[in-house]
Amino acid sequence: MKKVLRLLISLFLICVILVCILPFVYMILMSLKSTINVYDFRFALDELSLQQYKKIFANPSFVRYFINSVFVAIAGVFLTLFTSCTAGYAFAKLKFKGNDKIFLCLILTMLVPSEVILVPLYIVVRGLGWVNTFKALILPLPTAFGVFIMRQAILAIPDELIESAKIDGASSMKILWSVILPLVKSAMLTLSIFTFIGAWNNFTWPLIITTKDALRTLPLALTTLKAQYDVDVGLTMACATVTFLPPFIFYLILQSKFEAGVALSGMKS
Amino acid sequence: MKKKKGLSVLVPYAYITPISLILLTFVAGSLIIAICFSFTKYNIITPAQFNGLYNYQKLLRDDKLRVCIMNTLKLTVIIVPLQLFTSTLFAVLIASRQNTFLGKLTKAALFIPVLSSSAVVGTVWKTILNGGHPAVRAVFGIFGIDPTMLLGSSESAIVTVACIIVWKSMGYYMIITLSSLMSIPDNYYEAAKVDGANSWNQLTRITLPLLKPTLIMNAFLATVSSMQIFDMVYTMTGGGPSMSTTTMVMYAYQLTFKGSKAGYAMTVSNVLMLMVLIIVLFQQRFMRRDASEI
Repeated sequence: MKKVLRLLISLFLICVILVCILPFVYMILMSLKSTINVYDFRFALDELSLQQYKKIFANPSFVRYFINSVFVAIAGVFLTLFTSCTAGYAFAKLKFKGNDKIFLCLILTMLVPSEVILVPLYIVVRGLGWVNTFKALILPLPTAFGVFIMRQAILAIPDELIESAKIDGASSMKILWSVILPLVKSAMLTLSIFTFIGAWNNFTWPLIITTKDALRTLPLALTTLKAQYDVDVGLTMACATVTFLPPFIFYLILQSKFEAGVALSGMKS
Repeated sequence: MKKKKGLSVLVPYAYITPISLILLTFVAGSLIIAICFSFTKYNIITPAQFNGLYNYQKLLRDDKLRVCIMNTLKLTVIIVPLQLFTSTLFAVLIASRQNTFLGKLTKAALFIPVLSSSAVVGTVWKTILNGGHPAVRAVFGIFGIDPTMLLGSSESAIVTVACIIVWKSMGYYMIITLSSLMSIPDNYYEAAKVDGANSWNQLTRITLPLLKPTLIMNAFLATVSSMQIFDMVYTMTGGGPSMSTTTMVMYAYQLTFKGSKAGYAMTVSNVLMLMVLIIVLFQQRFMRRDASEI
């Protein structure tokens, strides 16, 4: 009886795995079919081709989208690391008037639902004259969550280390750079991955704030380039695969960091 | 102790200036704009004109808004329980196999949809359901469903969208639940075993009660995110058929960019903001009461 139950659970888990990955398998298989036989559903390995990928990477708009995505995500990671590490350090280790109160105010901004303020955010950025600029795509990326993560990590560093560096005459910038940051690399990595994937996958904000091919990012290719590609499923699926792969590869390499990050993001509330 | 130099007092403020400026401009700025512009007639291009409470009165007469609120609530009511049930079930099952290959694989597989862009998920599912592939038809045929009708008919579209959203994010809630499951000390279960409790008893008497705070938190996280759905709907149905999947965020988007009614769009956003705020306040009280019980 117990063995039967165990077997049933195993079967169930296998079904769960299939339900999770089959749509992506479908995506990849369809992307490897040439246009001619995309509606020919017989499956044969020798008919697979990289033709669709050659086609999308031959399209200058698509290449532009791809480069924009890489640039925005990487710039977003650096900006987030910079703002979060500096503020996290100040809130964790420096004494100044209003420390707790300012921190609480920043944390409260996490309660503001991000999609709800989409339209007003657009008006703000428009008012700054930043529509169709990289500034508009990158600057809103850092959040108070990053400050929270870095503050938590830096709080765990013993004060003695900082005091002894101070006695050696190190400035606070030097302490941050050469004493603190090397000790919080793990938190920085978690934050970087989350920021990268968030920026890479972001769909709504680039959709609203960009109207030119020169600034659009990859997820938009799936909806905007579709008009050009008509209804060519193979091409759409190749676009989807290219958008899907970078986060997926990161996940394969750094699985534990992802789980740590999710557990943290649950903890914040 | 030597006295601090005048300037060095300002150093900490310099460290917090970058993030404060960003959040002040984009978050606080948006909130202020949302409130101010909700009292105006504004089409983005010409300057805003103050029109008092007109937009707020319009809310009451707006039949489309009523449809969108209903759609948003429907999505929330379908998603939250389903999300909670699936993620908890998978977390418990994975925890019981955590060191086996199958357990690890399930955990990894559940996370793949989480890390994919909603644009990818939306487009792929739409292609699968509408593509008419014989294998897809055969799978859905087992349940007597025609896959092309799922997103195509106004009765089933919202349920389909809700299910796909659950599919995308169940791994996220599973990881949160699993990490709190792992923090339950083993000796609780050992003691229960000594007392002769079977695994069902262990689940209902130990695991679930201790998971309660996490489950409550997951429920609220899922509620707040279900109320703000936009991208998945945009990529899968565009709000259709016949407005059956238009959410409140999507309505605000359409008002601003398709209807040149940005002022009214912000009034709609404020209604949603108020709804979310009520839920967040409710959560705070709920969690505090729950914490005091333990």
